[in-house]
Amino acid sequence: MRNFIYSFHVAVKNLWREKWINILTMLTIAVGLLILGAFILVTVNMDAMLKRWSKDFGLIVYLKENLSPEEEKLLGEYFKEDPDVVEIKYISKELALDELRQTLGSMTSILEGFEENPLPASYELKLKREALSPVRILQKTSQIKQLSGVEDVQYGEKWLSSLNTMTEGMKIVGLLLGTIIFIAISFVTYSTIKILFYRRLDEIDTLKLLGATRRFIRYPFLMEGFFIGTLGGLLGFISLIALYSFVSVKMTDFLPSFSGVITFFPLELYPVIPLAGAVLSLIGSFFAVGKIKY
Amino acid sequence: MIQFIEVSKYYDNEVVIKDISFLIEKGELAYITGPSGAGKTTLLKLIYRAERPDGGRIVVAGWDVGDLMQKTIPFLRRNVGIVFQDFKLLSNKTVFENIALSLRIHALHTREIKEEVNEVLKDVGLKHKANDYPQHLSGGEQQRVVIARAMVSKPTVLLADEPTGNLDPETSTMIMKLFREINARGTTVLVATHHRELFSGTGRRVIYIKNGELIKETVG
Repeated sequence: MRNFIYSFHVAVKNLWREKWINILTMLTIAVGLLILGAFILVTVNMDAMLKRWSKDFGLIVYLKENLSPEEEKLLGEYFKEDPDVVEIKYISKELALDELRQTLGSMTSILEGFEENPLPASYELKLKREALSPVRILQKTSQIKQLSGVEDVQYGEKWLSSLNTMTEGMKIVGLLLGTIIFIAISFVTYSTIKILFYRRLDEIDTLKLLGATRRFIRYPFLMEGFFIGTLGGLLGFISLIALYSFVSVKMTDFLPSFSGVITFFPLELYPVIPLAGAVLSLIGSFFAVGKIKY
Repeated sequence: MIQFIEVSKYYDNEVVIKDISFLIEKGELAYITGPSGAGKTTLLKLIYRAERPDGGRIVVAGWDVGDLMQKTIPFLRRNVGIVFQDFKLLSNKTVFENIALSLRIHALHTREIKEEVNEVLKDVGLKHKANDYPQHLSGGEQQRVVIARAMVSKPTVLLADEPTGNLDPETSTMIMKLFREINARGTTVLVATHHRELFSGTGRRVIYIKNGELIKETVG
């Protein structure tokens, strides 16, 4: 414990003694974590927006002509029992025609040529978020198409596909960016601690000759790396809050519909950025000090 | 306390220490002498395991030095105080802090460190220089700080490598007096020097080495 306190004291002293190189390292870590934090924040907000939009996504099941009301009702019961379906809406032939008339407005005259209502009755099915993957949608569609009484099934194929590509793309880029920044932070601290270690080589040699254990020699360097990482992480986090505040105010001014839509990380995730800085720098410092030989 | 049994050491196939055997008893003050390059410094380095013997066996305060694992070496060195030829004082620490470092390694309480360091500074006559930095001290004063640092942790063995190297005769006499005082308290002291006047007429054991070989053992 005494050695731990002494190491802490030495680390704080050295942090000040080598302040310029330490400040530079802290700033580098802060910038790295700020970029990563901002990217994750954009991804999280986009994901939330896409989730909101996907609520309106649905399948349209067109029914065959001349189905009896019982047969139509039977199909409705079938869809109700499907665990992936969260909402069902029945659109009769008449309702479909009314909707079309409303859409056409003054051009309804083009419908006058038809003797009978040409539009089929249909069911609009809204699916759970988890069921919105292209593969599952395709399975569901072909399953419904095989039901007797079903003429056709339509859905926003392209839209769904782009939505998924975008979300998956953001996740992959985030993972890649995260890995690169994490390695870069560890490497930056590794280089700084290595330089500081070589600068104190004479002191380390003397300590070894006086009977200092590896732990006694190593601890101050590890603590110094830990402090640099924590402070860099804190700085990055504060910058992220500032950037978020600035961007959200500007966006609300520009697009008032975005008001209250853009969110920050939840409170419980606040320590993650400083902690990431601390842990990565500690790893870098550990490898920088290496194996101490007598 | 310090036993060499047919110890050999080579650097790139060149013999530096050749089949040397001797025994320094507990509480003894002995000298190792010989011309420059005779192997005196290497012999001391073998004692505190800065070098590993290529042959033979070395026992220091009960430790079989050649067989020590890396992680055990610090604990041997805590029993061996060393007065280095080049002092090895840290220029960014004061005299007090340099000496205290030895006790920090032993994980002593700050209050105990303060007491012990002040005590040893009094013994070497440098209490008034406690807050000075080593580079502001004379050669003799620096050497006394090194001795204070070596003796503050009360080691069982004290090694000194050319302790009077560049010092004037008066300061040399004072340094040797300090070693006798340390020895009188029960510490085994081994001094490596090529200055004959340091051991002449002392009545202490003198080990002569030349080209890495033990030539003779006499009384100074």
